[in-house]
Amino acid sequence: MSIFESRGATRRFGGLVAVDSVSFAVEQGEIFGLIGPNGAGKTTMFNLITALTPPTSGQLLFQGQNIVGKQPHQIAAMGIARTFQNIRLFGNLSALENVKVAQHTHTHANVFAGILGTPGAREEARRVEAKARELLRLVGLGESADEKAKNFSYGDQRRLEIARALALEPKLLLLDEPGAGMNPNEKGILSDLIRQIRDQFNLTIILIEHHVPLVMGLCDRIAVLNFGQLIALGKPAEVQSDPAVIDAYLGD
Amino acid sequence: MDFFSTYGFLIVSMLFQAMLGLSLYIPLMTGQLSLASPGFYALGGYIAAILSTTVFLPEGGGKWESGTFPIIYVLIETVLAGLASALLALLIGFPSLRLRGIYLALATIAFVEIVRVLSLNLEITGKAIGIFGVPQPFINKFDYVVLALPLLIASAWFVYRLERSRVGRAFTALREDELAAAAMGVNPTTNKVLAFVLGAVLAGMVGAISAHFLNTWNARQGTFDVSILVLAYVIIGGSRTFLGPILGGLLLTALPEVLRAIAGIQGLPLFLSQFLLDGRLIIYGLLIVVAPLFYPQGLITPDLFKRRAVKTKEAGA
Repeated sequence: MSIFESRGATRRFGGLVAVDSVSFAVEQGEIFGLIGPNGAGKTTMFNLITALTPPTSGQLLFQGQNIVGKQPHQIAAMGIARTFQNIRLFGNLSALENVKVAQHTHTHANVFAGILGTPGAREEARRVEAKARELLRLVGLGESADEKAKNFSYGDQRRLEIARALALEPKLLLLDEPGAGMNPNEKGILSDLIRQIRDQFNLTIILIEHHVPLVMGLCDRIAVLNFGQLIALGKPAEVQSDPAVIDAYLGD
Repeated sequence: MDFFSTYGFLIVSMLFQAMLGLSLYIPLMTGQLSLASPGFYALGGYIAAILSTTVFLPEGGGKWESGTFPIIYVLIETVLAGLASALLALLIGFPSLRLRGIYLALATIAFVEIVRVLSLNLEITGKAIGIFGVPQPFINKFDYVVLALPLLIASAWFVYRLERSRVGRAFTALREDELAAAAMGVNPTTNKVLAFVLGAVLAGMVGAISAHFLNTWNARQGTFDVSILVLAYVIIGGSRTFLGPILGGLLLTALPEVLRAIAGIQGLPLFLSQFLLDGRLIIYGLLIVVAPLFYPQGLITPDLFKRRAVKTKEAGA
């Protein structure tokens, strides 16, 4: 069984079909690339999976279960985490707090336990803190844990988003242009990080990325969207030589 | 003791208003501008006024001598007022918190109006006359400080701890970016309703004690004016730390007395001292408009403490 499957997912915005009956399946442990020209529907696809936008029709299956109709926080609790193309950190919170927030579903201290500081709540707070610091170190932000997120550089904010998503302990991680705004050297480090977290946390990753070398080097398989439709799906080398893909990217 | 008999009423009022500021601040932690506090304040007051004049009567009937009403009854009323406010807040929280920003503010103003109109017309709330002769547990107004001060300290401590706990962090995340918070597993609806309920409980409890403190309770308590006043506490005091609304409530409640003192200075032109005495609401209005220009985040901001902390750290190193 595939860990994730899209069966004819469709999303219309008025007359525009942003995602047009897209079907594909992602296997456990894969790094799966989602590429395509601007406006092809890649981010909309992510929004459908994380329930930020409901699909007009079609099914989305996570571990064999249809997740259409669930709320975003329920999707997160099931084990699907994401980062955002247009970075959506909690800007006035510190990096540490940003990562702590994402452990919400795995912690249970209620209002009164938290306020009274019961032994259980204190123990939980220690665990949350230790894990947040560990994740920040993993993405290379261990030194600036107490800095406000909005003061971080663009690349650091993207890394912080990855740390925050990992705090959800996801099974499926959706990365929306994680390398945007990074220089080639940083992108190389990012590739290594993505592979490392896949292995370390036993993740399946779906990745939106424009930078072709990054995608080709990193992904096991690639799906290409154009005007909302899936036009190619396969191993990087196959996709790269697909006439429809070349046509979509370079035009006639 | 002369000071306390003159200013006792003012000092206790300042403590109550600081708590009302906090009750608006708690929903604001989740980014929800709710002006419903005065409605729950009114509800709490009516619960205390009705119970103490109809249920908690002295043995053998009649009326309580001033200063003999048992404090334990006040505490029971306060708890009941908190519970009733919680229930009502749950009931109206789920539908109204689907609204955002200014629409939520309008819905909560409507709630405050409904409470006012109901209490003007219901038999049990004494219609336009209200409820008179709410019995007194103390002889001096200043003595109410033994109820108001512990409640203020407890609620301030509650919010202080809340801001540093798991649930408070979820609140703040919702304020910063509701969509991102949801994608990180925070349930927006339940957390927003929870914050709304906590604020309502505090406002209801303050109302219950206030009914005794003011000796009478009627439809002029907890109206739209109070909504704006309490909002001013938060805007002027600061909306990013619980100390802001407390400071705002204390300062703005003391302001009329300060103005009165200034107006009493010899040699002021008559029109100016008259304005200082009667133009209180105009001065409030001006403050609400002008203060955000100079203190956009209010008088107290979290960064204020951070900068202080960094400085002391540097000094220590």
